[in-house]
Amino acid sequence: MLSALVNAEHHGTEPERKAPGWGNLEFVLPEPGSYALPEFGVARDSDVVTSENRRLGLHKILAGKFSLLSFIYTNCSDVNGCSLATYVLARVQDRILADAALRDYVRLVSYSFDPRNDSPQVLARYAEKFRKPGFDWTFVTAVDDQALTRVLQDYDQFVIRDYDEQGNEAGSISHLLRVYLIDQHQKIRNIYSVSFLHPDTVINDIRTIVATSNAKGDL
Amino acid sequence: MKKVLIMIALCVPMVGYSDETCMSPYMAKIVGQEDFVYVWTLGVEGLGDEQDKLVTVDVNPMHEAYGEVINSLSVGGRNEAHHSGFTDDRRYLWASGLDTSRIFIFDVATDPAKPRLHKVIENFVSKSGGVVGPHTSYALPGRMMLTGLSNNKDHGGKTALVEYTNGGDYIATHWMPSEGALNGAVKSGKYADGYGYDLRAFPRRNVMVTSSFTGWNNYMMNLGAMMASPEAMAQFGNTVVIWDLHARTPKKILDVPGAPLEIRCAWGAKNNYCFTTTALTSEIWLIYEDDKTEWHAKKVADIGDASKIPLPVDISISADDNLLWVDTWNDGTVRLFDISNPHAPEQISEKKIGEQLNMVSQSWDGKRVYFTSSLLANWDKVESSGADLQYFKLYDFDGEKLTHKLTIDFVAQKLGYPHQMRFGAYSLYGLSAPVRITSRAGASD
Repeated sequence: MLSALVNAEHHGTEPERKAPGWGNLEFVLPEPGSYALPEFGVARDSDVVTSENRRLGLHKILAGKFSLLSFIYTNCSDVNGCSLATYVLARVQDRILADAALRDYVRLVSYSFDPRNDSPQVLARYAEKFRKPGFDWTFVTAVDDQALTRVLQDYDQFVIRDYDEQGNEAGSISHLLRVYLIDQHQKIRNIYSVSFLHPDTVINDIRTIVATSNAKGDL
Repeated sequence: MKKVLIMIALCVPMVGYSDETCMSPYMAKIVGQEDFVYVWTLGVEGLGDEQDKLVTVDVNPMHEAYGEVINSLSVGGRNEAHHSGFTDDRRYLWASGLDTSRIFIFDVATDPAKPRLHKVIENFVSKSGGVVGPHTSYALPGRMMLTGLSNNKDHGGKTALVEYTNGGDYIATHWMPSEGALNGAVKSGKYADGYGYDLRAFPRRNVMVTSSFTGWNNYMMNLGAMMASPEAMAQFGNTVVIWDLHARTPKKILDVPGAPLEIRCAWGAKNNYCFTTTALTSEIWLIYEDDKTEWHAKKVADIGDASKIPLPVDISISADDNLLWVDTWNDGTVRLFDISNPHAPEQISEKKIGEQLNMVSQSWDGKRVYFTSSLLANWDKVESSGADLQYFKLYDFDGEKLTHKLTIDFVAQKLGYPHQMRFGAYSLYGLSAPVRITSRAGASD
């Protein structure tokens, strides 16, 4: 995921900084359950195809657990883009595997918005690099262009294919990094962007909504 | 193909970048030449269609229409148009009215040269539980945080932050801490007024900072009448609040007497501080975190002669955290402070811009500085001074002096009184300027 767009020229001297999600969190988070994560909108359904080449609705994948949904494409090379998202999801996976209280309640979903390149086979190879055996981490993409357009609208994912000076596709895609925390009823409970996405923060939020759901007898 | 010198950091953490005009660090930035300035403009009785409007000025010198108003979108009435802010994807501009509490959401992405009205939030007061006067629209990931200025019980200054989705759906209300309802906050001094005004966030410190102004009763009152009323003058905010950004809970109330208004935070990776200015006492205050992660506030400079009531309004911090522009409304003057030592700012220059001066916005590289004049409908000066009364002005800045480039007289053009400015660019949306507005010099883009 490149940050520069068509015909752009970076004339600053700022060295690339790694996003906070790559390092240690610089502050102490509030206690899990001590704050609210109000629902704000429904995570919309969409027809997807998985890395196992199964066609189904996104809601079927999201059902019954707390989900962390990330929008990526596998050719992305931006250290603070999709690479960051997948890195953070992998760290979340490790933490959940080590936590018996969360293990059965959380899944990860990585959605590629580049179905032209990210076939189920490509997604399967990508998944192999990151998914621990048996962990509930699903890799999907859109079944067709119409489904892709709809899901990008539904999840506020503004995507621009990058072109070189000759007008050829550069292979990279600019977009605004967003990762969604979605509860077991497909309600969005948080959205993380580059400055916000961190494994500690995500785990804290998951514990918070698990605690809330437990208190309601909703788990 | 000529490069347009625009870079958009869609995915980059913004800790090292300037703000372009002091906006949310969560947002894509224009770091080269902006194409447009969107001016949220107060409708005025007897002037043009008398309605609030979003005015688009072409400010790209490579365009045929450079320096011209290329679009004016009226919203159907007067609402005390005041501030505006983009969503984090910069596709929508939220602009609110302090009187009616209506919020207008403009689509600036489909055609950046011609924004369209996408949605109007009409039920801000009822949805929020009684908050009045939406002011700052601040982008957070996938959502907007709005500050209020007042409430519907007494129309005084007690108010709240109100959170919405980017789509305009209400999420939550977070009341400012006040005496008897500190909501977990700790008082560091004698004040806990519950007032609100501006908001900025430090994501890397998990901190949100808010300031405090006054309620509907005052900001809708005639300025002379208000200043003659000791009772009214006692109803101004004296606090800055430090919040837990993630939990949305107030942590510490800092005493900053005299109505601290705009907040601008430093961008350097280690610069954990913000500036604000006090309208009534004409001072620059530093809001800073010490090495024990405690936040403090202290006065660090005077702005002009406080006895003459210069009335500091908007401020703008430079990309490198070394300079701070400070506008004072009453004398129409901008002062430039060296803030390389944030604990001891020094004024290095000043320049009169007009009869009155409110907002200032600078480009990311600091080479262009824009000004507008209007403060509030019932506070603005009315004695005619031609183009220097209600204006949009652009100056070039070479690091030492401002050089005037253009002026648009908003009264002569029957537009209204110009207030908040926000920048637009085609390249934010992967678009190029249509041929019809490319430069007469023949440069392509």
